[in-house]
Amino acid sequence: MALLSDNDAGEVRKIFGALVSDVHVRVYTQKLECPTCQDTENILKELDELSEKLKISFLNSLDNREEAEKDGVDKAPAIIVSDGTNSRVKFYGTPSGYEFSSLLTTIIDTGGSEEPLTEDTMQFLKELEDDLNMQVFVTPTCPHCPSAAVLASRMARYSDKVKSEVIEANEFPELSTKFRVQGVPRTVINGKFYAEGSLPESMMIQALKKGLEADPSEETNLMDYLQND
Amino acid sequence: MDLKTGLVGSSSSENRELDLVIAGGGPAALSAALYAARYDIEHIVLESYQPGGQAALTALIENYPGIKTISGGDLVAAMKKQAESWGGVFESASVISAVPINDRIEIKADSSIYSVKHLIIATGAAPAKLGVPGEDKFYGRGVSYCATCDAPFFRNSHVLVVGGGDSAVKEALHLSEFVSELTLVHRRDKFRAEPYLAEKLLSRGNCNVLWNTTLKEIKGDDGVESVILNTTDGERELKLDGVFMYVGRKPATEPFVDLVELNDNGTIRTRDIVHTSNRNVFAAGDVTDNGLRQIVTAVSDGARAASAVFEMLQ
Repeated sequence: MALLSDNDAGEVRKIFGALVSDVHVRVYTQKLECPTCQDTENILKELDELSEKLKISFLNSLDNREEAEKDGVDKAPAIIVSDGTNSRVKFYGTPSGYEFSSLLTTIIDTGGSEEPLTEDTMQFLKELEDDLNMQVFVTPTCPHCPSAAVLASRMARYSDKVKSEVIEANEFPELSTKFRVQGVPRTVINGKFYAEGSLPESMMIQALKKGLEADPSEETNLMDYLQND
Repeated sequence: MDLKTGLVGSSSSENRELDLVIAGGGPAALSAALYAARYDIEHIVLESYQPGGQAALTALIENYPGIKTISGGDLVAAMKKQAESWGGVFESASVISAVPINDRIEIKADSSIYSVKHLIIATGAAPAKLGVPGEDKFYGRGVSYCATCDAPFFRNSHVLVVGGGDSAVKEALHLSEFVSELTLVHRRDKFRAEPYLAEKLLSRGNCNVLWNTTLKEIKGDDGVESVILNTTDGERELKLDGVFMYVGRKPATEPFVDLVELNDNGTIRTRDIVHTSNRNVFAAGDVTDNGLRQIVTAVSDGARAASAVFEMLQ
């Protein structure tokens, strides 16, 4: 049975009408030790039918170790969304629930005609000297999560200094434990800064500017940089 | 499989003049957007970064007329799609300030400024903090205000729920499906929640209610390890892994203090349901002092507010 209802498929087809250029999606799955890989593959196969602009390739992460390494993929299921030139925007885990809306939005951001970031954010990213590695922990039942996931993906799509990983916390419990995730969305940047909840774009950029300047020696809440304003 | 198809909006960095801004993203704002769009009022909805508002965080809604059961997220998503289908315009941004300038209102959003004839404030309310030691320190480390989001992190754990209203009991019911043990503390000797919900909770095997009890402190090192409770028999320490707070709501009125009169509790003072102290500004939903805080009343307020704007623009 189809995972996308007829209604949802129609909705998504309409949404994909906004695509003006090709969007390349690379899906890494494996048969072993990945209970959610099959669902992920099935969802993406159904999406593949809904737009000519989507160029989806399916790779087995165990058979394609070299490519996976080149793409910086170390877990499955993994989904990379790009214009075909890079692998900076990644999703780890099944794109179900609210994760699906984050994935759809990122596809539209990548192949649509409108730049979703504000002038201020683009300026910040152009002047960025440090590399930013953004990890956003989410759950499929969290309505606040797509804002945080999409902001990281948008920043990584725009700047080659930024990488984003949106991680479904339930599917990667070891990683969630390592980063002490007990609430979502939780954004971790360079293992050095974190944000609880979904920060507005302008606040995120403002806090990041100050955080990078302060260069703290231990993990710091980005909100701390906004308190004194 | 549940696949949410709503897209995430973006912020604009353009400054614009408009007839109407609707501030908020919950049912009141979505209903105002639907009516404004159908009245053909030139408008924009400044959705916050928590689209759907509090309703989106409710796992199960059973009292919205005409719909037997639905998740809050699906209900608000359907409302938004309906508003969009009639021409509702949404932007992902929150209001920073709103001030009257001559006969217009200047609204500063995250990275843009709007000058409008009318404003509908439907910014709702955020969960209130209890203000006990440990609450801020362990936020995201075991302290949560969103069971729908964070319940999976507490599988087979023992959690505390604080509160006795509809939200506390509803979310406790949701949590009880994940945790091994749930303790609910309430400062009174009976629930304010609907009897039906209360009954359901009291009959759950893994739920235990402590009446006349308040939370004094949350303790731990890297995460929540225990809580100190004030009971009628004195203080008591309880070892557990998480704390979910449902102790009321704080209306999101901060950006509007220079624009409209507020009540002592922070809500917007209204007359005739949606009118405020500023004739060009209307308020709808949980941000007001309209009493019943329900989706059904929020959508009613939103419709009235949009209709009042329509009449003034004629």
